[in-house]
Amino acid sequence: MAQALAEGRAGRLAVAARRESTGRTHWDRASTPGRLREVLAWLIIATLAWGGLATFTASQHASGAGTVVNASQPLVNDALQLWQSLSDANDAASAAILAGSLPPQAIVTRYQDDLNIARGDIVDAARRGGPQGDLDTLSTGLNSYSDEVSRALANNLLGYPVGTAYLRQASALMTGQLLPVAHNLYTIEDAQLASASAQATGLPLILVTVVAGLALGVAYWRCGRWIHRRTHRVFNGGLVLAGVVGAAAILWLAGAFLAGRSDLLTAQAQGTTPVTALANADIAVLKAHSYEALTLINNSGNDSNEAAFQAERTALGPAPGRLLTIAQHDAAGSPGAGPATAALTAAPAWFAQHQVVRDDDNGDNPAVAGGGTHQEAVALVVNGASGQAFQALSTDLAGAITADNAAFASHARAGQGAFTGLEPGIIVATLAMMAALAWGLSRRLAEYR
Amino acid sequence: MSQVTRQRRAITGTLASLAVAAVLAGCAATSTSFPASSSTATPTATAGGPARQASTTASCNPYESLPPQSGGPKATPGSWAAAIRARGYLIAGVDQTTYHFGYLNPLTGQIEGFDIDMIKDVAAAIFGLSPDSPALAQHIHFKSIDDAERLPDIQKGMVDIVAHTMTVNCSRMQEVDFSSIYYDAKQRILVDAPADGATAPDLAQLGAARDKVCATTDSDSVAQIQAAHAVAVQVTYWSDCLVQLEEGQVAGISTDDSILYGMQAQDPGTVVTGSALEDEPYGLGISKAHPDFVRFVNAVLAADRANGTWAKSYRTWVSATAPLPTWPIDYAG
Repeated sequence: MAQALAEGRAGRLAVAARRESTGRTHWDRASTPGRLREVLAWLIIATLAWGGLATFTASQHASGAGTVVNASQPLVNDALQLWQSLSDANDAASAAILAGSLPPQAIVTRYQDDLNIARGDIVDAARRGGPQGDLDTLSTGLNSYSDEVSRALANNLLGYPVGTAYLRQASALMTGQLLPVAHNLYTIEDAQLASASAQATGLPLILVTVVAGLALGVAYWRCGRWIHRRTHRVFNGGLVLAGVVGAAAILWLAGAFLAGRSDLLTAQAQGTTPVTALANADIAVLKAHSYEALTLINNSGNDSNEAAFQAERTALGPAPGRLLTIAQHDAAGSPGAGPATAALTAAPAWFAQHQVVRDDDNGDNPAVAGGGTHQEAVALVVNGASGQAFQALSTDLAGAITADNAAFASHARAGQGAFTGLEPGIIVATLAMMAALAWGLSRRLAEYR
Repeated sequence: MSQVTRQRRAITGTLASLAVAAVLAGCAATSTSFPASSSTATPTATAGGPARQASTTASCNPYESLPPQSGGPKATPGSWAAAIRARGYLIAGVDQTTYHFGYLNPLTGQIEGFDIDMIKDVAAAIFGLSPDSPALAQHIHFKSIDDAERLPDIQKGMVDIVAHTMTVNCSRMQEVDFSSIYYDAKQRILVDAPADGATAPDLAQLGAARDKVCATTDSDSVAQIQAAHAVAVQVTYWSDCLVQLEEGQVAGISTDDSILYGMQAQDPGTVVTGSALEDEPYGLGISKAHPDFVRFVNAVLAADRANGTWAKSYRTWVSATAPLPTWPIDYAG
């Protein structure tokens, strides 16, 4: 096209001669109608090319946003819920055994609900195309796990201490094999969400499209100038119309992108990022709580479970770089900020109660006559001060996760909504631009017949 | 549970014979047999225990303890029993995982078992109560301890007494005092009960078949399993072995029959079998700082043996039908 314009400039001297030379063929490139045809062809090709690029850009961002909302988010939710349900089931099973031969119905229900939710999530994730290997491992492992917990509960009901051995085995299976796989699954789904989100919010493609659109506008303008010089008409209606439609299309594309990008980035900042950090903390808390119970259940032998509790406690903090502090930091400004901050004080309160439990169990509690007993320690954990402190912490974290998950869902949906109709809109706009060009330039062309 | 020194295996038959002779000679004056009936124990089995317990560094008799307090157990002024009585409670280090010996009963939330009965009898004597009295519970503080804590806790005075399926042996006798023997366990194996008419295999047969046999990590049983050429599967807790057996991952479990009977009670599809491999005489561990308390406890045990209290505990926790076992009760001096 630039070449056509340059040739136009070079041929300016021959204008008068061409006006008289009507006898030449229509396809003579040197004649004005020939040039007009050439310009029209170039402009339509350029417009079509830009339209294709813009449609591709719109579809990339819209499909990225669509993947975030329709595919990745549900998969991440499934994976997160699965991971949490398994951790909670493990904790509930330990609590059930600790509570005595006939555990409170609420704990048993909690355990069964967790298993049902986990099974549902596995099925759902498989239906949505989650990684088959991990899901198979979880599905098979969960059957063995629930089998061993059932044996633990049955033996415990009969008063047989082998029940605790089954629980130990089940717990080792859960923490050693299933939870790492569930964590891995969550990491995979989270990475896919991040990549879909990056596709929807990425800058390069949209910048290229907008710059190309502006270049097309410049071409329209220069063609307008050229026609003006050749025909002494100030405006070419077709060119102007195509330019206006093109400008509207660029504005819509850029506007939709900016709105969608902003929503999706907010969804990430107030949703995915804090939820991941909060979930890491929540699951560490559940693990620590089950280790606390296992310490009381096993008691004799070694202190590996108490060591495992202390490891989770250290990982949790609160301290710079620890899970709870990271979660609080990431949740700042999100709807879950309040409970995430509350967790920073709830955690030390629970850890202090845990020490009382250990002192009671070891008979070293200076505040209790005789230093405390195992039974007193169990009572503290099952429905006493320690159990309540754990519950408070767990409620804080669960509340923050729920709030930020909701924030993610609504912002991601809004982000996807920003791209609604963009793709067909761009296609229609491109067709309209090409039609306007053809109409406008063919009117000029008709003047030479 | 036994944690036998490795030196034991180095003893030659000749040394063992010499030790048997020495022990028998040394104890002859004060040795009695318990219970009076000796119908179930062969002389060699009875004498074999002390012999195998002998170490190359110190010859000893695990069946020998301080003489019981004369005139029965009395918390005389200045005695440790009187100090415990003044404190208001006895601190006992116990196991809470070994069914029927020392275990936390999920049905009651209480620690129960044969070991625990011994503690109750001692506490009842200190506080002048009946062993069945509900008031006794407030006078006993059970401290659940693991195997490794037994000797240190006694030595540091963290517990008054330990009842924890603890085998009396020469190296332990160097560190703490023991009561007279209150249970004489034997190393045997637990296997799935065979089909009608078949004989349950012993450890040698399991070894010949290269079967897997379960024991806790680094326990003496591991060495026995390996000596029999079976494959030792090592776990953390004895109850883990029962899980392995029930899930078909091992063919048998090798340890003290006291522990095996508890497993059999939890799984009627199993049977305790095999010849007695080792004697594991259990004593109550007490600090060397309180020899008067050892004598007090021995007086309690002597009275229990005489008045049928011991037999009642045996019938409750070990076997309702098996003949009462026998072993020597020796007192120093």
